[in-house]
Amino acid sequence: MVADAGWTTARVVEQRTLAAGTFRLRLHCPEAAARITPGQFFMVRPHGGTDPLLGRPFALYDTIDGQDGSPESIGFVYHVIGKMTSLMSRWTGGEAVEFWGPLGNGFPVPRCRHLMYVGGGIGYTPSLAVAREALGQRAYGSPARSAEQAAERVTLYYGVQSAGQRADLTDLESIDGLTIRIATDDGSEGHPGLVTDLLRESLDGDDPPEAVYCCGPLPMMTAVGRICREADVDCWLSLETPMACGFGACFSCVTRVQTDDPDGWDYRRTCVEGPVFPAAQLVLD
Amino acid sequence: MASLAVSLNRLSLANPILVASGTFGYAREMEAFVDFSRLGGIIPKTITPLPRRGNPPPRTVETASGMLNSIGLDNDGIDYFIASHLPYLLSLDTAIIANIAGKDVGEFVSMASRLGQVEGLAGLELNISCPNVSGGVDFGTNPEMAAKVVSAVRSACGLPVIAKLTPNVTSIAAIAQAAAEAGADAVSLVNTFLGMAIDWRKRRPVLGNTLGGLSGPAIKPLALRCVYQVAQNVDVPVIGIGGIASIDDVMEFLVAGASAVQIGTANFYNPGVSETLAGALETCLADIGVESVGAVIGSLS
Repeated sequence: MVADAGWTTARVVEQRTLAAGTFRLRLHCPEAAARITPGQFFMVRPHGGTDPLLGRPFALYDTIDGQDGSPESIGFVYHVIGKMTSLMSRWTGGEAVEFWGPLGNGFPVPRCRHLMYVGGGIGYTPSLAVAREALGQRAYGSPARSAEQAAERVTLYYGVQSAGQRADLTDLESIDGLTIRIATDDGSEGHPGLVTDLLRESLDGDDPPEAVYCCGPLPMMTAVGRICREADVDCWLSLETPMACGFGACFSCVTRVQTDDPDGWDYRRTCVEGPVFPAAQLVLD
Repeated sequence: MASLAVSLNRLSLANPILVASGTFGYAREMEAFVDFSRLGGIIPKTITPLPRRGNPPPRTVETASGMLNSIGLDNDGIDYFIASHLPYLLSLDTAIIANIAGKDVGEFVSMASRLGQVEGLAGLELNISCPNVSGGVDFGTNPEMAAKVVSAVRSACGLPVIAKLTPNVTSIAAIAQAAAEAGADAVSLVNTFLGMAIDWRKRRPVLGNTLGGLSGPAIKPLALRCVYQVAQNVDVPVIGIGGIASIDDVMEFLVAGASAVQIGTANFYNPGVSETLAGALETCLADIGVESVGAVIGSLS
């Protein structure tokens, strides 16, 4: 539960638009790139200045190798929601930014034949590294971690409000063994309705997942956690909570976790004990 | 090389760079980022007699060049602190100053007497200024109550005592004066300024506890004013706190009259900053050609 992370200056390598207001950014940071695993995160802030002040947490999308074949940069995908992300969206390459990570626990190494990832909105982004690792197509971490046996298939159920907001999935579509289904609230693409409809359908179908990883808005994760509990399927949720530091010093990012306390729960820090928790451990309401 | 050591009555520090309670966890959280032996001391997160869950999230929100927090003294209680955090803290090559908060004088006294028996602690900081917990703030806004708790703690243990003061008062010098007369070895100031953030579209406060304490670079001029007022009017060593993030900030507080400083919010966005500033202070004193940090303290003309 202690961050084993470095604080460094990273350089913006490139930025690409994946949807209106959604961008993929790559940072040159070889040490962190070599160590980060799917579901872990890191903090980013501009170099110098005090407004914005605090770092912002972003989850790993993928690591990218340098010419020597070892991981050299980290990619992440973000949606513009405020002061910091607006500023970031104007970075074009070459900017020096402050970076600390890798942080948090990340998703466990998948040990199943069929892994499902349910992503809501920007919460879909960790699925790229999750799928590549689960399918044995890329190793992450130092020393590199890997499943004893690769998954046969990974399914991504991706829920967004409407087709216009969904991210360009080209990076994911090229992964052999990954099946993607989209749900839109307004029915403009894929399944009309909630992504949890697709999850229920799959759990009742011929090839249900043995484990479900999930990241998205809290109501969606709560529903996914409940559905998996009822179906007795292992489920891990990656939480996003407001945080100031990312390494356990500020005690801001707490979430309710079931414990032996008299009331049956206590607040735990998402940044060091999470962000990924078994759904069964959380107090979901 | 200039001497960096400072003495605040019975409290001696290798250098004046401390880290503020609540911004450094229990030090373990920072070990990847900081060489603790470079610091003048560490003040771990506030402890209370019993475990406290703290306030409902969201507990922090960023504001212009600052942040509001309302953590609510989330901690596992003094027993857990003594059993699980203190052995690690006391193994570090720097001064450890425990920070305690109680609901009444009795709670402060019982914690102080227990910690007074621990070998190796450098001092106690009394959190009589947390804006996020009802009960605690009365000690920091009322000179008689501040004096009562300081004097009771002094009688209860032999450790150097620092009273940490709130700026949310009409005259911070009056509170500092009361703490000094009651025997505080030093006063540390300021804790956070009570503030608020609102999400007007939702018609709701942003923080789970509605109000929170403002910290960060935004409060530096306010904190500097408080340190100046206390240093000018009260005969007690002052530890300056409030938005310190650069060596210029450190020097400004020292010149204003602080004998030491605490780095707070900056630890969150630059976790190695305290170590950096300890090094920068040495360089800065050499650059201006003084023999000791004492030559700078209170040198405002």
